[in-house]
Amino acid sequence: MDLKSVVLASSGLVAMATGALADQVELDLWTIDDPGEYHYVMADEFMAKHPDIKINVRTVQFEDMVNDLARGVATGDAPDITYIDNPEVALFASRDLLLDLRPYIEKSEIVDADDIFPGPLASVTYEGGIFGIPRGANTIALYYNADMFREAGLDPDDPPSTWDELYEAAKALTKPQENVYGLAFSAVATEEGTFQFLPWLQMTGGDYDTVNTEGAVRTLKLWKAFIDEGLASPDTLIRGQWDSTGTFNAGTAAMSISGPWELPRMSSEAKFDFRAALLPVPEEGAERASALGEGDNVILASTDNPDEAFLFLEFLYANMDRVWNDFGYLPASEVEVKDPKYPEIYAVFAESMKYARNRGPHPEWPRISQAIQAAIQSTLTGQSSPEEALEAAQTRIDKVLK
Amino acid sequence: MLRVAKSFRDGAGFDTMLVAFALGYLVLFSGFPLVYNLVMSFQSVDLFSLASFDRPFVGLDNYYDVLSRPEAWGIFLNTVKFVGISVAAQLAIGFALALFFQQDFPGSTWLRGLFLAGWIMPALVVGAVWSWILAGDFGVLNHLLMSFGLLEDRVFWLSDPDVALYSVIIANIWLGVPFNMILLSVGLAGIPADIYEAAEMDGANGVQRFFTITLPMMRAQLGAVISLGVIFTLQQFDLFAALTQGGPSNASNVFQYWSWQLSFQHYEIGVGSVISVLMILFVILVAAVYVRSTRHEHVA
Repeated sequence: MDLKSVVLASSGLVAMATGALADQVELDLWTIDDPGEYHYVMADEFMAKHPDIKINVRTVQFEDMVNDLARGVATGDAPDITYIDNPEVALFASRDLLLDLRPYIEKSEIVDADDIFPGPLASVTYEGGIFGIPRGANTIALYYNADMFREAGLDPDDPPSTWDELYEAAKALTKPQENVYGLAFSAVATEEGTFQFLPWLQMTGGDYDTVNTEGAVRTLKLWKAFIDEGLASPDTLIRGQWDSTGTFNAGTAAMSISGPWELPRMSSEAKFDFRAALLPVPEEGAERASALGEGDNVILASTDNPDEAFLFLEFLYANMDRVWNDFGYLPASEVEVKDPKYPEIYAVFAESMKYARNRGPHPEWPRISQAIQAAIQSTLTGQSSPEEALEAAQTRIDKVLK
Repeated sequence: MLRVAKSFRDGAGFDTMLVAFALGYLVLFSGFPLVYNLVMSFQSVDLFSLASFDRPFVGLDNYYDVLSRPEAWGIFLNTVKFVGISVAAQLAIGFALALFFQQDFPGSTWLRGLFLAGWIMPALVVGAVWSWILAGDFGVLNHLLMSFGLLEDRVFWLSDPDVALYSVIIANIWLGVPFNMILLSVGLAGIPADIYEAAEMDGANGVQRFFTITLPMMRAQLGAVISLGVIFTLQQFDLFAALTQGGPSNASNVFQYWSWQLSFQHYEIGVGSVISVLMILFVILVAAVYVRSTRHEHVA
């Protein structure tokens, strides 16, 4: 090939490329995933199917998402689609920053709001609008080390199902001379602490807006007993869920309260027979509750291409069955999961999902959550009685709610 | 025309230009954020009104709000303890080490240099290392103390509310000692040796020489080291982020970390600004002392 034909050929290519770009729609997508994870994989597959749409994926740290989005909105530099943690949906929706998807969903042949589990659906609903589509769902359950159960003379096929049984099991499993704690959970002063505490409160009839209840007092007394009696590490107060489950995987805690996101690591690190059970209830026959985690795919109200953005959300929704097998989240709607990994544990989490309840929703969620964390921490450190701490939290929450 | 050019080459014009540059820089990068912060402390600001001008003034509401919170007093006391103990210990240890290395034994300069290794490490890394040392269940410190029989039970350095603040203080002292030592070594080296010789001939012993010569001659250095120490300690943020996040239950929280938590975790930016305004006022006070102590140096 001589020089002339090279020049001609490449200018032809350039012309083709610009021609293609001219009618190509570009969407900006922010995610907390790293390349190779959910949003990147799905965006690539979507672009292969829709060559006329280009998605620019950008990773934002989970803790920075709200700050970065707020800055993006303020400077007119917001993405078209983004992923946000479910308690923040109300915050953004209340500022009219999110596109109401209800009209799009009503026309859609793929997304039917009635198919989405009530918890995840409530997390994206704000004042009658639907402001996002859950990418998956998460919840918590009780992991336990069946080998240790056998050693301690407990029946691994009959895990604790009430709070009293949990306490007794933790006591039987604790071996201070071997540095083994009965239970690992998280009471850290961040959103994770609230996430772990709320189901206990909700099982006894309370919720984020009524925390000064008998049930909440009972919960905190039990949590305090776990720590004061050495059944759980004092570091529970400063450990997140990932770290506390790490101690379970290492064999220094016999039970751990955490979610399905731990499974990939647990399967490689935990060298024992690990199983899962539903979160114990206050007493036999009591109402069940579980935490609701995972975030939502939302479209910002400022987008220029709402139709293409919704097309992408539909594509994500259509692939809901892959979130468990490929990515380790629970599906947010009834899908057929063919041959799940860890079928028994999947069954526990799928069951648990039915009881998963929201945090909030409320546009001032961070302040409510912080009041709850303060009550947990001041009780567990012995600075105030559970009654006083919860009363103080209620006062602060009432101020936010009014 | 020529006069103006000449004045710029060497004259009042040149001086003015230099001052203008410095002033412009100060106004842009120090003055503006300071004033902006002060204004925000009187406004109701949240995440979404941060970049807009649509922010209602609320007078002293933010000040009242934050100072009447039940945790405010405890966090204030923690800040005082953190700064007081850190600066005192850094100064004492730093001074002792500086005097020690002044003895000029073989390898003293080399060893002194080694101390700087801790100082040049990012505080977040120092924090990560200390969090392994101080961890309750599997920490190095507990293991050592228990295997030497100094401890019966594990101490939960980072999660025991009575201990957490002191754990951060210990890490911070470790971080600050090299800086104190180097500055004070420079000061010690500047004291003429013949003064000591004369005093020795007059029969003054080591302790007398320290109190009558070393201390008075080091006044300026000590003033500078103390005020810089206070400012650096008030800036210390990374260690809290890495070690305790101010917990448990604010037991190890201090103003600088609280201000960040309020602004960027709870999105109460107006209230967070109040804390930084209070801290700025205090730092200005300390800076005044620092400026006075360095001015003293010029006179001497």
